[in-house]
Amino acid sequence: MTNLPLWIIPLFPLLGTILLGTVAVVSSGSKKGPSEGFVGALSVLFPALSFVSVVLLAFGMPEEGIRQTLCNWIDIPMLKVNIGFLFDGLSRVMLLFVTGIGSLIALYSIGYMHGDRGFTRFFAYINLFLFSMIVLVLSDSLLLTFLGWEGVGLCSYLLIGFWNHDLNNCKAANKAFIVNRVGDIGFLLGMLCLATLGGSAILNYDALNKFIEMLIAGGHVELATPIIAIAGLLFFVGCTGKSAQIPLLTWLPDAMAGPTPVSALIHAATMVTSGVYLLARLSRMFSVIPEVLMIVLIVGMLTAFWAAVAGLFQNDIKKVLAYSTISQLGYMFMAAGASAYDASIFHVFTHAFFKAALFLGAGAVIHALAGEQDMRRMGGLIKKTPVTACVMIFAFLAIIGFPGFAGFWSKDLILERLYTNAPFGEFFYGVGLLTAVITAVYMGRLIIMTFFGEYRGPKEKEAHIHEAPACMLFPMVILAVGAVFAGYLWADSLGIKFFEGTLAPVVGVAQDFVVGKLAVAHVNPMAFACFGTAAALLGMFIAYAIYGTKRLPRLHAKWGSAPEGFKADWTFFFDYIHSIFIVMFKAAAFVADVFVDKVLQAIQWTIGAIAEIVGDGVSSFQARKVRVQLTLSLVGLVALTAVVLLTGGLF
Amino acid sequence: MELQPIFIQMLALLLFAIGLATALARRNVFFVLMGIELALNAVNLSFVGFAKTLPAAESVAGQIVPLFSIAVAAAEACVGLALVILIFRNRESVDSDNYSNMKG
Repeated sequence: MTNLPLWIIPLFPLLGTILLGTVAVVSSGSKKGPSEGFVGALSVLFPALSFVSVVLLAFGMPEEGIRQTLCNWIDIPMLKVNIGFLFDGLSRVMLLFVTGIGSLIALYSIGYMHGDRGFTRFFAYINLFLFSMIVLVLSDSLLLTFLGWEGVGLCSYLLIGFWNHDLNNCKAANKAFIVNRVGDIGFLLGMLCLATLGGSAILNYDALNKFIEMLIAGGHVELATPIIAIAGLLFFVGCTGKSAQIPLLTWLPDAMAGPTPVSALIHAATMVTSGVYLLARLSRMFSVIPEVLMIVLIVGMLTAFWAAVAGLFQNDIKKVLAYSTISQLGYMFMAAGASAYDASIFHVFTHAFFKAALFLGAGAVIHALAGEQDMRRMGGLIKKTPVTACVMIFAFLAIIGFPGFAGFWSKDLILERLYTNAPFGEFFYGVGLLTAVITAVYMGRLIIMTFFGEYRGPKEKEAHIHEAPACMLFPMVILAVGAVFAGYLWADSLGIKFFEGTLAPVVGVAQDFVVGKLAVAHVNPMAFACFGTAAALLGMFIAYAIYGTKRLPRLHAKWGSAPEGFKADWTFFFDYIHSIFIVMFKAAAFVADVFVDKVLQAIQWTIGAIAEIVGDGVSSFQARKVRVQLTLSLVGLVALTAVVLLTGGLF
Repeated sequence: MELQPIFIQMLALLLFAIGLATALARRNVFFVLMGIELALNAVNLSFVGFAKTLPAAESVAGQIVPLFSIAVAAAEACVGLALVILIFRNRESVDSDNYSNMKG
């Protein structure tokens, strides 16, 4: 089935967007709205069709990938870009879980969004998001990727602010959009930087890789390195925006204002990993600039550690998961910084399963408690909602890296690669391991506070706690199965390396280029597995010792469940830094304003005054009457003519 | 006596001088405009007169240019009269000596 055209993959969600958007607009006048069953079926159908076409293509894919050019997009003298698609090992992995998990979450949303005013609108956005994400992943040039990159940013904005009657949601949406914009500038400037180096042609990934190979072969790398390094840094800024790394991480915790399926799909499984995808896609470029990789590594480490610590202090169940997402993304960036792109993408892959499962589980819990998000009002839910609890516990075991679960394989791989590949590997390995312990602590805290102990919420609500409907449970169970078994695609200790093989044609060259220079210490993978297991167990034990044995914090009924504000949010530090930047920009704007207003205008006034004075002086020569003026000019003309005739010309 | 080209030029000069004198001497702005038209037509006449002295193949330009200039003169008269009407509404006068707000 390889003769399937690639454009069919993004086509389905696009059709879905148009169709659902039309339905939403048409039905916006009526009070009842369209049938939820009809809309829900449509909204799952299109992503599912997309998923099926990805699967069909994935099985018949040749080793080097499929490249198809759809049409000419921009064709002006300095810029020639085609709309082309590239389906290789990397996009295959990304597309499989983007469309797969996208379909599952669309199914889940039917239950979660039941009865919502904007039911149809929601699914139109979800389909638009999937379209943009597919374009991002499938495109064969940076410019088309940027189109998808902006598209997912837009959908993120629309969906965070989905419940737009609450001003806080709108503020969160604005924050996400604006912070992302800072990153997008980096992406844009990065592209311009590359274009100055090799023209618009090297915005194509294949051409870029060829260009780098040519530089290496010709021995000109040193000449081009400064510009490539700047481009790499700028692209990395773009990645920090989209993937919520330091310093642009503040938007992700706020983004939890959106509906929970959105948090699961966009802000955990797919969109936020596009930064990691971009790093892997540009791996050949990054391989010649180890200094930038070092920055990636350090930023990833700081983010992973910081977000894990911040996760310890959250009481909102979704905020905990948001910080854990940031922390896991930090792991992925660390891996990319250590030139272990395949391990990084593998973690993206497993993380998509267990984090989506965790978010959907949290959504089911919130659904069961009729909108309660504060963990201090939960507890003992394992008896009321056993399936949700099981799903979340499996996903919990996966994220902390319990042996055999998905996160164990990917996280261990990252830690191992950190130890062997990275400069100062021992240090980064140590921080990574410590972060793993903290991860286990805060995730254990979440599980204990939510599912164990006794119920701490208001008594009158207790009777209404119910398990989620089947259309919500089904995707959760599938994802939980993924959270358990996804790791076996690359079980290093067991010798299964399927995943490495699929990514090797894309990132293998770059990895060998960097790692090949190192004297890789030969280490026993079992030792890393043991350390990783020990970290997970230690973390679980600490969580149990702190939260499992004592009376859990209980939220007073009259306190209300509103988030306790700015300071407790733990992004305040970065928010503070951002506001300093904003103040600096404001000051600069003020200075510029004063300069324009006072200095430049003074110059203008001076020139104007001089002109006026001169004009006044000259106008005194002017005769008052038109006829006299005319006569004078005629006399002048005659005089001039006489001079010219008599002297035979002035020259 | 045969028509000499110089007679035509002299007539043109005479017409031009009358036109110019009218434009300069009269205060009524309509007469000023008429003077200008007269001067313009004097130049046209001069063109045609010179064209007559040249062989037929080369005299075409001398006959064509007045046609253009007549067309332009029509447009100019149109705009000029419109201007005069507007100024008249504004100043309540056709005396060109009253049209002196340029000064000061």
